[in-house]
Amino acid sequence: MRFDNRWAAVLLVSLFSFGPSVQSSDRQILVYQKKYIMGTVFEIAAYSGSSEQASFAIEKAFHEIVRIDDLMSNYKPESALSHLNQSAHFHAESVPPDLYCVIQQAVQFSKLSDGKFDITVAPLVNLWKAALLGDSIPSAAQQQQAEACVGYEKIALTPPDQISFQSACLQLDLGALGKGYAVDRAVATLYSLGIYNAFINAGGSTIFAMGSPPGQTSWLVHLRDPSHKVGPYVMLSNESVSTSEQSAASLLRRDSVGHIIDPATGRPLKTEFAVSVIARTATLSDGLSTTLLLLGPMQGKSLVNRTPDTSAIWLSPKAQIETAIYGPQILFGKL
Amino acid sequence: MISNSSRRDHEDLRKTVVFCLLVLFPPSAWSTVLVQWSNSQLPPPSSLGVSDVVFSWKSRLRPSLLANARKQGYRVYVEAPLQQATAAAEEGARAGWTGLLLNIPESERKGTRTAATRLRSAYPKLKFLVLGTIGKQPQMRGSLVIKNDSVLEVSSPTAQPWIDTNLAAIKVEQRRNQAQVPLYTFAWVTSKQGQQRSVTASDYSLAVAEAGAFHADVVLQLDKRLQRALTNHDPEAWALWSQVRSTANFYSDLTDGGLQPAANVAVVVDRLDTRDEALNLLARHNIPFQVFLAADLNAVGVGDFNLVIVFAKPDKVAAEHIASLVTRGKTVVLVDAHSSYPWHSNQPIQLNEHTVSYLLGTGKILELSEPVTDPEAFAQDIRRLLGKRDALLSLWNGLTSIAVGYKDHSGELKAIEFVNYATDPIRVQVQVKGSFTSIRYETPEHGCCQSLVPVTHDSFTEFVIPELRIAGRAHLDSQ
Repeated sequence: MRFDNRWAAVLLVSLFSFGPSVQSSDRQILVYQKKYIMGTVFEIAAYSGSSEQASFAIEKAFHEIVRIDDLMSNYKPESALSHLNQSAHFHAESVPPDLYCVIQQAVQFSKLSDGKFDITVAPLVNLWKAALLGDSIPSAAQQQQAEACVGYEKIALTPPDQISFQSACLQLDLGALGKGYAVDRAVATLYSLGIYNAFINAGGSTIFAMGSPPGQTSWLVHLRDPSHKVGPYVMLSNESVSTSEQSAASLLRRDSVGHIIDPATGRPLKTEFAVSVIARTATLSDGLSTTLLLLGPMQGKSLVNRTPDTSAIWLSPKAQIETAIYGPQILFGKL
Repeated sequence: MISNSSRRDHEDLRKTVVFCLLVLFPPSAWSTVLVQWSNSQLPPPSSLGVSDVVFSWKSRLRPSLLANARKQGYRVYVEAPLQQATAAAEEGARAGWTGLLLNIPESERKGTRTAATRLRSAYPKLKFLVLGTIGKQPQMRGSLVIKNDSVLEVSSPTAQPWIDTNLAAIKVEQRRNQAQVPLYTFAWVTSKQGQQRSVTASDYSLAVAEAGAFHADVVLQLDKRLQRALTNHDPEAWALWSQVRSTANFYSDLTDGGLQPAANVAVVVDRLDTRDEALNLLARHNIPFQVFLAADLNAVGVGDFNLVIVFAKPDKVAAEHIASLVTRGKTVVLVDAHSSYPWHSNQPIQLNEHTVSYLLGTGKILELSEPVTDPEAFAQDIRRLLGKRDALLSLWNGLTSIAVGYKDHSGELKAIEFVNYATDPIRVQVQVKGSFTSIRYETPEHGCCQSLVPVTHDSFTEFVIPELRIAGRAHLDSQ
């Protein structure tokens, strides 16, 4: 069953293009469409000399995202991921190349973060999801049982396409990476159809800016600012930005239960920070944003340093700012 | 052998007879679509499939337009501001209009009932309907905004509404004017992301579906180009309209069988505000609520509800009612209502910086010491407070959908109306409180009815809607 995933969309996005006219500049026509996929609203704005060409390309890009969702959704019983989750325990399964690629990248993130990022955290996520929906907090025994099923080291990858689980209860959840990968695939689709200046927004949490608006050198994107005081923004061209943030605090409960679980503690992560990461691909920014939220600024900065062309910002409701700039500049101030 | 032309004549005659009968003896429709018209010509009502047409107050200056519409068999309404109501009524009575739609701003609604009563007694042949004009175009929306020359403010006060819906406003109207089915209109957003866009068949159908599903009437503002194209027999325009018409029929064919919206959350306010964001988010989260005024607490009571949210400051009598409810096992959430209450003699439990809880009998009162700062978080909290046991209706994969359950006089759930604001087909899993043995599902596209397989456990029934495009209705039976 698909549960609400609304708290994942935390990036307050705004963008605008400078220039005489967005609608039609240098005979460039802007076409905008949106579609509900992967439990979120995907939006694509594309410039082209022909509105038919742009519309066609956007439609194809949406098809590609739907195809990725059909492969990687763990809510769809017929998806390749659901099949893998049912049958790869102590048994190697062949998977489609896209799925293999994403799982391989996820394992790399896990290694880079010493297990803070872990796509095998699903049993713990499911346990706490019930608490989010109103059930009581899981017992220590329940947590222990779920923790025993978690661990990326139990995923065995055999190139080019074989995967097996070295655990009887391992389950994969690509929620922290799948959307980014889908955005990258949509970008590739748009390029292949001759669209070079476009903007893809996956529910606000992951964005890719292709090229720039007509007459400009980049797209301006406002980043999430829980303090409403700092006003961070970036200028992007052929770059992605993703944002992660724990669910909003409950107004009526003693213990707020968030949707991001820390594999190290087996409990919902407690942090007030929102993290935005700018990277060359959406898969990278998506995976890194969750990882950096879990790591916190201290350890997170070191990881950003080891990842080429990447920048990150941690921002708290009290306007505490931490940055790691090894890629695009992060700018501040009201425009 | 019947020739094609005589078959057509026969068919036309049948349509005309049915139409005349419907006009002469209109059943009490579940939802009515009124069409706002300005073009100099009108297609016949049997083609448009709509019997109620609305003209602006300015249109009185073109009396032949209104007279022609009457002659064609339309029920003619004129939308007029309250200040012009008497003059309009005078003219309407003389010209044989069906009625007036009184366009009254939200801030001036207090004296509406008196004014309408006065008009009704002075002009008994005319209908006087109050028109809500602050409706919004129903839609799934994104967060991306593209503009020139200015910094953008993209987000709403809440992080994730994702859809614009009129449900909360309709619920407020249901309380405000219990003598009239809520009637509203809205302006189309035709400029989006720097693009001019036309209103599509899906846009019109969604607007019709929303009003129908929530048991309201809507004045549909028809694009002028569409009006012209319909009048000029443009096949493309008629293809568009045929989709809209089938959605309208889906609701107008349904008679008001005394079904009432099912709700187990009472929302008590001291001021009826159709723009209240907290109510909007409760609606958006499929929390079935009914709106009451603070005075209702003493008069009608809210004892049948599992949870009561009070956005008003209760007086002494109301506070005693609340205490009595809680003692009997209910949960009450009191928002920003600082005072001294009877339950304050009990031990308070500090839940967080702003919320204190008091246990009383088998229930509890939660006092939130500030206004709702995050309506999204508040709505999620209310869902959690209801818990699994009292969740009347839950949707999975339904983030862009709203469902409203309807019960009969005995309180049994009989039907659920679904609206999908994404307008792309989605598969929706539904869980409903109660044990039902039969679920029949109908849509404007496929008619009635497809049998869905119910799975019951722990006093709940689950079923899957394989494809919800814009509108759907599930009939529930427990035999």
